[in-house]
Amino acid sequence: MDKREIGEILKKALGHGADFAEFFLEHKETTSVFCEENRIERINSGIDEGVGIRVIHNNSTSYAYTNDLSLERLLEVAETAGKAAQKEARYPETFNFITPSAEAQFNIRIPPSEIKLETKTSKILEANKAARGVDPRIRQVTVSYGDIKQDIIIANSEGIYVEDARTRTRIAVNAVAAENDVIQTGYFSAGGVTGFELFDDNPASVLGENAARRAVLMLSAQAAPSGKMPVVMDSKAGGTMIHEACGHGLEADLVHKGLSVYAGKKGEQVASPLVTVIDDALIPNKYGSLRYDDEGKPGQKTVLIKNGVLEEFMYDYQTAHKEGRESTGNGRRESYQNRPIPRMRNTYIAPGNTKPHKIMKEVEDGLLVMAMGGGQVNTTNGDYVFDVAEGYLIKDGEIVAPVRGATLTGNGPSTLQAIEMVGSDLGYTIGVCGKDGQGVPVSDAQPTILVKELIVGGRGIDKSNGKIRRI
Amino acid sequence: MQEKLQNIAEKVLELACLKGDLQTEVFMLDAQELSLEVSSKEVENMKISQERGLGLRVIKESRLGYAYTSDLSKLALESVVDKAIYNSRETQPDSCWELPKRVNEYQRMSIYDEQIFKVPVEEKIKLAQSVEEAARNYDARVAIIEKAVYQEAQYHVTLLSSLGLSGHYQAAYCGSYAAVVGRENDDNQTGFGMQFGLKYSEIDPKSIGEEAAMKAVRMLGAKTIPSANIPIVFDPYIGTKFLGVLQIALSGEAVLKGKSFYRGKEGMTVASPLITIIDDGTMPNKLGSTPFDGEGIPTTKTVLVENGRLIGYLHNLYTAGKSGVTSTGNSVRGSYKSTPEVGTTNLYLQAGETNPLDIVKEIKRGLYVTDIMGMHTANPVSGDFSLGAAGLLIENGELTHAVKGVAIAGNIKEMLESIDAVGNDLTFFIAKGAPTIRVKAMSVSGA
Repeated sequence: MDKREIGEILKKALGHGADFAEFFLEHKETTSVFCEENRIERINSGIDEGVGIRVIHNNSTSYAYTNDLSLERLLEVAETAGKAAQKEARYPETFNFITPSAEAQFNIRIPPSEIKLETKTSKILEANKAARGVDPRIRQVTVSYGDIKQDIIIANSEGIYVEDARTRTRIAVNAVAAENDVIQTGYFSAGGVTGFELFDDNPASVLGENAARRAVLMLSAQAAPSGKMPVVMDSKAGGTMIHEACGHGLEADLVHKGLSVYAGKKGEQVASPLVTVIDDALIPNKYGSLRYDDEGKPGQKTVLIKNGVLEEFMYDYQTAHKEGRESTGNGRRESYQNRPIPRMRNTYIAPGNTKPHKIMKEVEDGLLVMAMGGGQVNTTNGDYVFDVAEGYLIKDGEIVAPVRGATLTGNGPSTLQAIEMVGSDLGYTIGVCGKDGQGVPVSDAQPTILVKELIVGGRGIDKSNGKIRRI
Repeated sequence: MQEKLQNIAEKVLELACLKGDLQTEVFMLDAQELSLEVSSKEVENMKISQERGLGLRVIKESRLGYAYTSDLSKLALESVVDKAIYNSRETQPDSCWELPKRVNEYQRMSIYDEQIFKVPVEEKIKLAQSVEEAARNYDARVAIIEKAVYQEAQYHVTLLSSLGLSGHYQAAYCGSYAAVVGRENDDNQTGFGMQFGLKYSEIDPKSIGEEAAMKAVRMLGAKTIPSANIPIVFDPYIGTKFLGVLQIALSGEAVLKGKSFYRGKEGMTVASPLITIIDDGTMPNKLGSTPFDGEGIPTTKTVLVENGRLIGYLHNLYTAGKSGVTSTGNSVRGSYKSTPEVGTTNLYLQAGETNPLDIVKEIKRGLYVTDIMGMHTANPVSGDFSLGAAGLLIENGELTHAVKGVAIAGNIKEMLESIDAVGNDLTFFIAKGAPTIRVKAMSVSGA
């Protein structure tokens, strides 16, 4: 598809007088390998390609997509998308497309497409073998591997034209340990905007061992306590908390609709002065890193909260346009089948000055989180939860015993205010973030931190009232 | 359309046939969707889509390979055949892999309502507008209509195999939902309502909007409660969310792989005698009903748990073969891009006899849970869950005030054993259904 044809499609989309039209072409090749029962069970690969056409008129968006890429069909789709507008059409005879320059270059050293399938399967079997070798109580190991190459072309009626190629590789290990009637699981994953060199920093055997160790550890864990208590989150635990407690609420579409507790609070102190929160597309090779977002805006580093003061929200084209400002490059979409909306990239709490090992020493009775699982937030009232995949009881500044089955519940703004210590370290985890039915790859990170109190939702002893209650 | 898909699928079978001794199965999907989102009476978002593609499974020397493509050009079809064969080379051989054989006749099902596509778009916009209006008019404290949406989809499925299978169906569904924010003083709370079905005429916009508004407004003033071990009532929607976790433990694949807490429990009592769980792909007028499953096997009604006793598991051809039983018609495909896996059709917890109001009336102090956060963090292998919850406090048989900011924790297996009341109000959300249920006691963590 050449620029002239794309120009024709945009003109067709503007034919009924719309304010803005955009063309998004995606060609995606994926390979996934799945190992379970000690063997390679499934291998799947394929090509998915399609075009999405977005037309904005006043505040109304029409989005149409197809995977029939003939020019004739695309002109039809553009016509369908543009139909809702009813004004006199205005567009140039030809578009003089300009490509903004990207600030980041991500070096993909070993493109997965150049790696033989048997090399991929051997890495996966290596992770499987290492996991099974950890303990005889490991009953099942699942290893899933996936690589994606996504080629995109974005062009819009404001004359932006961007081509980009994105490569992502990921691997996840899930181990199941069983003893008598108790079954527990352990999970470990790695991934990024990277090629097969992912395994240089993350040897497959280490990933397997880590997942298996966690599953075995949880076999002997006691039930997590319940009630309010101080919580230390180790930097290794990753950043699910900050993603849920504050990230989503700073997405401009939710702010504009009045669906965020952070709406109208720019310039206000919304967090402890120890807290600086950044969403950054430019960190090399992280899972949420981007050269350009899915609207052709170059990736950038966006400071959201600085020393506790709310500085910025995350914008896409449409939310930025409403405020007459520039997008922050947070316009992302799952595929050509979705319109872009404000999304996080790599979101983290910036490291502070406290030595990480000193933080736990401050806690008399509390919970240490060493790994976080998934989470969820209600941005409207700020309530959020996240799962503790590996946790320990703290007594007089020391780790006492592992606990299982805990979810932490809190309220975003209250938690941010209750962060009392911020370590000088920083640890990342990867995830697929879901919003409006679209999943996009992100990473989250934080230093080791101390939160004054959170509700721990376990089934064990309630310590919150100073009384010990058995249930 | 059927003919066009059939021709492409046959072409792929022919291409594969040239590659020597292998079994082949071609799945083709052609889907069209419309979605309309209304805000302040204006159409804020409209989405029109058309998607098609094919997925190919091959078995060569007892090894399974899969590949897919959305490009249906001759070159791409040749390449997808090569890729599936290439992928099969690296998988382990297993004599239990099988592809579907010819089925003489499928049940005729009424799963395509032409009316959906005869109604003009303007009418559908009006429908979404009346959902919004109903929510706004319900209560002055309804402050924001986050979304009032109308959605519809139609799709053609064609499934062919080199063993003579040839299946085709056309299906459609439509529905609407609303998400609403209620506001009083500085307090904001959310609520939603939804209805999806197979018939356009059955959508009731007023009740969708009012349900969303009612749920948002009744949560105003919500606060946390002290930690306690108290009876819990789950409304039908929350019940269906738990079924979503439970279905993994009931999958024949999880059982085979030692990843289910129901492994080895067939014939045993695993739940309260009030519990009967059924998967039924033949139910009239339900979104999960199709004549055949993802492997061309006719769908059936499968009783999984009957009066608390575990009867069986969900199976596809492979897990059934491996377990020495027949497929229950539970092979499910997410799209042409992914391999068919064990899944559910219409999964529901059978209605009991108790009026839901009576279920609440018997409780001195308890929690009626209407919203859950973090259900995806529940562990389907161990059954452990710890979830954020919100709802209404029950005091002396009455719903008194709104509760949020608490966590509930337990184990699904144990929870099903301690259910002591099941309502007569079975309600379906998309393709899962549950009535109101009561758990004798559960750990609630709060202030």
